[in-house]
Amino acid sequence: MNRRIHRARGWLAALVFTGFAVSAPPAHSAASSVDATIEPSQIAVGESAQLTILQSGSGTLSVALPVVSGLEFRVVGQRHQIQIINGFALESTSTIVRVTAEEAGVFTIPGPTPNSPPLVLRVNPSGASPSLQGNAVPAPKVPGGFNSGGVHLTPDGSAFVHVEIPKHEMYVGESVPVEIQVGMRDGFVESLNGLPKLNSSDFTLNSLSRQPERAGRTIDAKPFTVYTWRTLLGGVKPGTYTLAFETPLTVRIRTRPQRESSLDDLLGDPFLQNIFGATVQKNLNVSSPDATITVLPLPAQGRPPDFGGAVGSFKISTDISSAKNTAGDPLTLRMHVDGSGNFDRVESSMLGGDADWRTYEPKASFNSTDPLGYRGVKTFEQPIIATQPGSRSIPPLSFSFFDPSTRRYETAHSSPLSVMVSPAPQSAEAPPPAIAGPAAESHDGLRPDHAVTEARVASLMPLYFQPAFAAGTSVLALLFAGGWVALRRRERNANDLQRERERRRAQIIEASLQQMTAAAAAGDTAAFLRGARSALQQTLSARWQIAPALLSVDDVEARLQGDDREHVLQIFALADEADYSGADLQAAEFEHWTQVVRGQLSEPPA
Amino acid sequence: MVCLALFGVARGAAQPQGGYSAAQLYNWANAYARSGKPGLAVLNYERARLLAPDDPDIEANLRRVRETSGLPPVNRSAIERVAARLSPRSLAWVGVLGLLMTGFSLLARVGQKPKRRKLAAVAMAGALLVAVSAADAVALWPIIHQAVVIAPSTPVRVSPVTTEEPLFVLPEASLVTPRAQHEGFVLVRTTGGRSGWVPLANLARIVPQR
Repeated sequence: MNRRIHRARGWLAALVFTGFAVSAPPAHSAASSVDATIEPSQIAVGESAQLTILQSGSGTLSVALPVVSGLEFRVVGQRHQIQIINGFALESTSTIVRVTAEEAGVFTIPGPTPNSPPLVLRVNPSGASPSLQGNAVPAPKVPGGFNSGGVHLTPDGSAFVHVEIPKHEMYVGESVPVEIQVGMRDGFVESLNGLPKLNSSDFTLNSLSRQPERAGRTIDAKPFTVYTWRTLLGGVKPGTYTLAFETPLTVRIRTRPQRESSLDDLLGDPFLQNIFGATVQKNLNVSSPDATITVLPLPAQGRPPDFGGAVGSFKISTDISSAKNTAGDPLTLRMHVDGSGNFDRVESSMLGGDADWRTYEPKASFNSTDPLGYRGVKTFEQPIIATQPGSRSIPPLSFSFFDPSTRRYETAHSSPLSVMVSPAPQSAEAPPPAIAGPAAESHDGLRPDHAVTEARVASLMPLYFQPAFAAGTSVLALLFAGGWVALRRRERNANDLQRERERRRAQIIEASLQQMTAAAAAGDTAAFLRGARSALQQTLSARWQIAPALLSVDDVEARLQGDDREHVLQIFALADEADYSGADLQAAEFEHWTQVVRGQLSEPPA
Repeated sequence: MVCLALFGVARGAAQPQGGYSAAQLYNWANAYARSGKPGLAVLNYERARLLAPDDPDIEANLRRVRETSGLPPVNRSAIERVAARLSPRSLAWVGVLGLLMTGFSLLARVGQKPKRRKLAAVAMAGALLVAVSAADAVALWPIIHQAVVIAPSTPVRVSPVTTEEPLFVLPEASLVTPRAQHEGFVLVRTTGGRSGWVPLANLARIVPQR
């Protein structure tokens, strides 16, 4: 009977091992034996090898990690195993140590016990073998693999590169949209280290976008993340060629046998893999299966003279900036090439110059309607000038291309355009008389030099954009704004004070009138006249813009006329008399003086 | 904004001793035009035009050089055509005058009820002058950021390296707008709307930056 018990203790085991190794002196039980192996024995700088320290027997053993300059040792797991053979229990403990090479050379690693033989690890320079650092050293291509779910997976099933090519026969110069998919098994691929690269020099490829589309996909019940790039593929020369795309990846390679990794497979979680120390990182180039494509030559027969290499399906249209113009003024003639194909080869010389039209070199702009630049509108703009007045016609423009769907050359024609050109004004033709002399053109067509008499300026930068000017005007504007705000605030405060004063005055007048009414009813002459005097003082002082206390008889005599003056002076005199001698008024007089006071109150302000 | 201070250090594009004069720049431009250097000629005509925008000789010779170089006439917007007839320096001071008129009339208007309408009219007139000055500044903004191709057949590439095939070739004396700079190359946008990288030494800014 043979029974095995596997225990993966992960980081806990590593801690116990490390702590024990540091704290306890090296010793081993007489019943124990220790053996160590390293696999592989040859790696490159940056790669890791696995050092396995196997302790057999029941005794307790403490082993210190070796210290070798240029190598880094890290415990990644420990496994305890009990085998029962013929009724005897045999215990063994395996400690897994990851050895990472930091520099090249041949390293001798001391054995775990003084009696153990040393181990030899050969570390090659990074250029000699794949590196973990992800530098320019090419990673090894992954051979083999298997097909599943319509894609070709790597042998460990961790990644794939798949290319969707809509057709396998194209013409030289033709642009064919292709789709490149890089699938990475979730949890098994550490990183994508670069863009997919075409491995054939027989084709051209437009630049890939930096941001691929990302989507999830399940292949054989395993989750994959698929990155998709779209680009244009073009054949350089006729012939039949193969192509493939390679993508550099960093994947996690199992360090335990496949059958022991079922938990990792089940969970597919790099975090769990790290805990259990089941994998190491490795850089690989994952390649797509080879695709065979036939590149056909463009036929020589039927090639138009103005064919410029455009391959695709196009149509053209033209327009002019204005249907009416003046002789000598520029117009803009536009030709729009609309369709799909290799727009980088869509060129046109537009309209050639003749007796009616002076033409200039056209400019082109492309407005793509898809991210690849495969579909869109290319617009050519050409400045043209009518040399003669009258009704002028712009001849039709043409554009030739090769249509791969019909396998023949096509020439698209535009419609002719008409422009009504009016004669140039006479004044514009003749130079101004005042400058006719000095501005006369010299033999080279240039007007003559000027006498340098004006003052020089330190900078060509217009005054607006010179810092001193801009700062000065800004400060000025801020000062004006600040002053305006301050004045407005002061005015508002003054208005508020005036309103308050008028409100108080109205209150006093109202109280005085009430006092008069009450006094008249009670027959109190003194109180009545005091109220009348107070109401008149408030009213007249407001009218004449003086303080009520400063209102005098002289003011009344000087500013009032006729009955008003007499009545007011009489009220003031009666009030004084009532204060000192106790004058009495009859009921009719109360009514009379009340009317006089109310009459003054109703007078408009000055 | 990437610093493009090195623009304009090419021969014939450097700042002259004692400052700039429209007549001096115009004469230099004529000399360059006669010696078969249309790029430097156009550069100096454009600079002279900044100082003397109403000078018909500058406009005529600039048009002549552009025509002989095979370049299309420059189509300017209406506001640019109006601005080209006015001196930026004068208009700048007109703007300051407008600012003073607006500011003082607004200050005087506070608390002056009888004259408020007249002061408001003065403030409006001042604001109009400020607006005209500001419009001129807006029209000049693109011009002061343009550069002239001063080397014949300047290749324009998709990236700032010399190993690629050029996208297209810029003729000498073309006007471009620099966008960015990287290790001896400048990303430019042509008047036709195309973009690409050109060698820094092949360009000179119309207004050199300090």
